[in-house]
Amino acid sequence: MATSVTTARPPRFAHASEAELARILDYYGVAWHYEPDVFPISWTSDGTVVECFAPDFYLPEIDLYVELTTLKQSLVRKKNRKLRWMRQLYPEVRVKLFYARDFRALMVKYGRHAVLSAVVEANGAPNGARTPGAGDPPLTHEPVAARGAA
Amino acid sequence: MTDVATTSIHDDVSEILLGEEEIRQRVGELGRELVERYADRDPVLVSVLKGSLVFLADLMRSMEMPVSIDLMEVSSYGAGTESSGQVRIIKDLSQPIEGRHVIVVEDIIDTGLTLNYLLKYLADKGPASVSIVCLLDKPARRLAEIPIDHVGFTIPDRFVIGYGLDYDERYRNLPYVGVLKPSVYGGAEPVE
Repeated sequence: MATSVTTARPPRFAHASEAELARILDYYGVAWHYEPDVFPISWTSDGTVVECFAPDFYLPEIDLYVELTTLKQSLVRKKNRKLRWMRQLYPEVRVKLFYARDFRALMVKYGRHAVLSAVVEANGAPNGARTPGAGDPPLTHEPVAARGAA
Repeated sequence: MTDVATTSIHDDVSEILLGEEEIRQRVGELGRELVERYADRDPVLVSVLKGSLVFLADLMRSMEMPVSIDLMEVSSYGAGTESSGQVRIIKDLSQPIEGRHVIVVEDIIDTGLTLNYLLKYLADKGPASVSIVCLLDKPARRLAEIPIDHVGFTIPDRFVIGYGLDYDERYRNLPYVGVLKPSVYGGAEPVE
């Protein structure tokens, strides 16, 4: 059978929902890596990376990244925007976004109502890369290489 | 105390997704597909308890050819699962499948995690071939790559019950596939 967790020690998860998904994957013997890769998605004009997308999980057996967001559906616009850029810039990379409703459905299916309540209570603690703010230089979604020597 | 006389399992269904006749017709088609594919190959239908039981019963009766059946049950991640817990076989095959053509009969493939585990387990038993027939394919939350050979219906991301599928061990005896009212499990209506 396949071995499950591919890290020597369990990582420190940013959110309880991530820890729960890791437990589910472990239970079913699916190998995973936690935040193994960071994908730059916007740069300043001088090529400095200012925004990245780091999917929560990578499942090597099926070459799939999974991003988990337990934020309310109305608050996921920022993450959807990141995912759009991710798909545009890295079309060969497969990413699946698990929304709050997907996580809730999983918890209901598995009868994990207590976990669901805990996650809902702890909601609003999104993790992710730094996002640009006031005073930052103008941004581009084209890496320096794609812009040539400009 | 619940008034049994006025309580109906149908009351908790918000919508009938697949009616009895629609299911009957499609299961018949699947049966004929399997007969064509497995003629003279003496296949064994391996069903995963408990959800697939109703589908298996109808599917095998739609196959006018010699078939044998076997049943398996696999533990599910759940409320009582310890953090170090791992999936295990609760009921194993009752006959060897080495050299046999195996058709795994599934009611629904959602994340695909259970079936992914089962396929690896069956592969170790040395079957001549393994194929999958499932009544319902719900690909929205797939976390494992499952090569489904025969699909009854591809369904949207809804909580479905009936025709063998349960919520908390209830509703399996509904003759159709219905959508469970979110109020039953404390959920909200999905955003389509």
